[in-house]
Amino acid sequence: MLWIALHLPLLSLESFAATLPPELRRMPLALVQAQRVVTHVNAGARALGVKPGQRRNTALGLAPQLVTAAADPLRDARALQGVLHACLAFTPAVSAMPPDRVLLEVQASLRYFEGLEKLVQRLRAALAPLGHRVRHASAPTAQGAALLTLHGPASAAHCADLHVLHKALDAAPVHLLGTVRDRTREQAGALQGMGLHTLADLRRLPRAGLARRFGEALLDEIDRAYGERADPRVWAALPPAFESRLELFARADTSAQLLYGAETLLARLVAWLSAQHAFARRFTLQLQHEARRQRDDRATPAASAIEIVLAAPSRELDHLLLLLRERLDRTQLAAPVLDLFLHCDDIARAPPPNGELFASAQGEREGLTRLVERLQARLGRPRVRRLSRMQDHRPERGSESQEVDAAEFHTRPEAKCAAPVLHGGSITHPSTHPSTHPTTHPITRPVWLVEPAQPLSERRDQPLLDGAPLQLLSGPERIEAGWWDEGLTGRDYFIAQAADASLVWIYRLRLPSLDAAQGWYLHGRFA
Amino acid sequence: MDAMPSAAVLLASPDALRSASAASGSSPPATARPDLHALHPTLWRAHQLGRGAGRALASGFAALDAQLPGGGWPRRALTELLLAHPGIGEMRLLGPSLAATLRAGRLVMLFDPPATLSAWALAQLGLDAEQMLVIDGRSRLPGEMPARQASDSLWALEQALRSGHVGALLAWLPSRLRAERLRRLQLAAQAHDGPAFVLREMAAREHPSAAPLRLALQPAGPDRLALQLFKRHGPPLAAPLQLALPPVLSAAAQGKALARAVAAGQTPRDEPLRAAAFVDLAAG
Repeated sequence: MLWIALHLPLLSLESFAATLPPELRRMPLALVQAQRVVTHVNAGARALGVKPGQRRNTALGLAPQLVTAAADPLRDARALQGVLHACLAFTPAVSAMPPDRVLLEVQASLRYFEGLEKLVQRLRAALAPLGHRVRHASAPTAQGAALLTLHGPASAAHCADLHVLHKALDAAPVHLLGTVRDRTREQAGALQGMGLHTLADLRRLPRAGLARRFGEALLDEIDRAYGERADPRVWAALPPAFESRLELFARADTSAQLLYGAETLLARLVAWLSAQHAFARRFTLQLQHEARRQRDDRATPAASAIEIVLAAPSRELDHLLLLLRERLDRTQLAAPVLDLFLHCDDIARAPPPNGELFASAQGEREGLTRLVERLQARLGRPRVRRLSRMQDHRPERGSESQEVDAAEFHTRPEAKCAAPVLHGGSITHPSTHPSTHPTTHPITRPVWLVEPAQPLSERRDQPLLDGAPLQLLSGPERIEAGWWDEGLTGRDYFIAQAADASLVWIYRLRLPSLDAAQGWYLHGRFA
Repeated sequence: MDAMPSAAVLLASPDALRSASAASGSSPPATARPDLHALHPTLWRAHQLGRGAGRALASGFAALDAQLPGGGWPRRALTELLLAHPGIGEMRLLGPSLAATLRAGRLVMLFDPPATLSAWALAQLGLDAEQMLVIDGRSRLPGEMPARQASDSLWALEQALRSGHVGALLAWLPSRLRAERLRRLQLAAQAHDGPAFVLREMAAREHPSAAPLRLALQPAGPDRLALQLFKRHGPPLAAPLQLALPPVLSAAAQGKALARAVAAGQTPRDEPLRAAAFVDLAAG
């Protein structure tokens, strides 16, 4: 068995800093317990003389600009959960050791990750986006590794076998033991008073007396650390759906301020996804708004949700963050936001795509999918459209414009442009233009449709466009369709030339209609 | 930096070179003159037509290709088309090159088209509308911040150019556009392996532009288009280029239009048309 223990010495401070806007993160920070006693300080606060154990008022007297907040075990637990999920990508045997340590059993993973050194390297890379400072130690026993993270050299410690571990533990001071740390001050002082400084000192004493004096738990912990007693652990299980919450320290008035908190949540989401080698297909960011101040202010919702749907499932932090940023840029907050909640349960378990050395059609398709996704995220889905031909003779119903599904959006290399033929229908005359251009089909329809058709003024039975007469050159082409639905139309279409020699498509109603004006209509321009 | 991908080198004239080398007197002029074209592919002389930095895309009109640097629509650069109003034959001009792009399996994107597009008409131009993507930045969506739409479309255009995955682009730009924005687009276009057409109103002709190729389009009779190439790598074209577009009108109707144009020179213009004079296509 080989255990890696991770210790996050600054977990509480870092989980607090994640709730702050970036300009506050560099300020001196301190966490206080029960509104009175300072428990954690960061480097900036320490430089000003603030120490753990001080009264809150003392600390504020030393550093008036100190940002203080209550220590929140729940917040720390959520942050630790993210670390736990990131570790699950490397071994299924991961166990949390609250408040700030995580244990991994990695013996079975060593071969796959090509040895301990590379495994630790990748583990640290996976933890980096979560933004925690991590100390690690590896040892043959779980408790031993956990103790070494507190005692060993600053960066890392490794004990290859029990013999080395015993030597390292013998030198460890007794106050590192969890059972000792949990004790009251007098009992911890008693150990000191008896001249027991290291674990080796403790081990030299008769066990029965030690157990009577300090309890069985102390012996138990030492035995587990030295590998003399079995040390079963409860493995962390991955929740089926991802949920994480972040309570913002200061209320966010603009969507840009939300992004920093959302980044932390997304990093946890990516950890959860990589633990099961899955990719997110959709996720939702819920924004809890500030409570309504006035009772009559009913328009403000209590919460709003931003749903991001991905065309190509992904677990790249940068890509997810980009999509969220584009959406947040576009969103106007209904009310200031206090609380962020990220939820994801729609995932895809697909093998990761292969990287490519040279540009290829596959790479271009993926690039296009990403492009469409980005455009949809920023502009909104209804703005990215695709036309399709409908089997209808009425020009206004001949084309339909739809939203594009980025996932299914692929250019089809084999697609050929078939010659369009409007089959059947009414008394439409198939035109027989002598085509001088060999590559294209006869052009009978204008590219630009004027919607709705623009009524034209007339002078002596002659239609006018912008005050100048139109010369009718070709026609009539009758389009009569729509008796099967409400839009019955009977029109005679002509191609006419405008004053500047451009060609337009105009029509006259075939039958007088009650609700429409008589005369000529402009319906298209030949581009 | 200069937005143009090609270095424009202006030399006085070949004669000046020759006399300079003759003044040194050491070697005969014919061998002393370096072959300028061999120096760098992007080098061109102002009185000659540029050769284009990359492969150009044939426009489908031989007369136009002969006048375009590189022999076609340039890739990795903006091409600016100026026209008084939409619907003078611009799509028929671009149709063959866009169809070739689609046939190669690449995407064509349209940004802010000025009117409703007819999918059937595009199909008649040889363009499969289902393979094209339309970005409609002008429509207002409910619950949205105002005054962002114009910049949104330009942002989308720049993203599409930068991605380098799009085959060809057509963008109808807003009327008031700062020169820096166009320059940004031209820089972004260097990553775009294909033609990028920006369509603007005629008034933009008076303003400088970063696009290396600029054309003014004007209708010149039925199914004919006059092109003025007033900016290109090479001397500006003095006379407008007349192109016969893929015809909308039948030969008979075209003849009629020409006859009317001739008659309009002699007879009063406001002579009323009679319905009986129409060419009936079914009969013809």
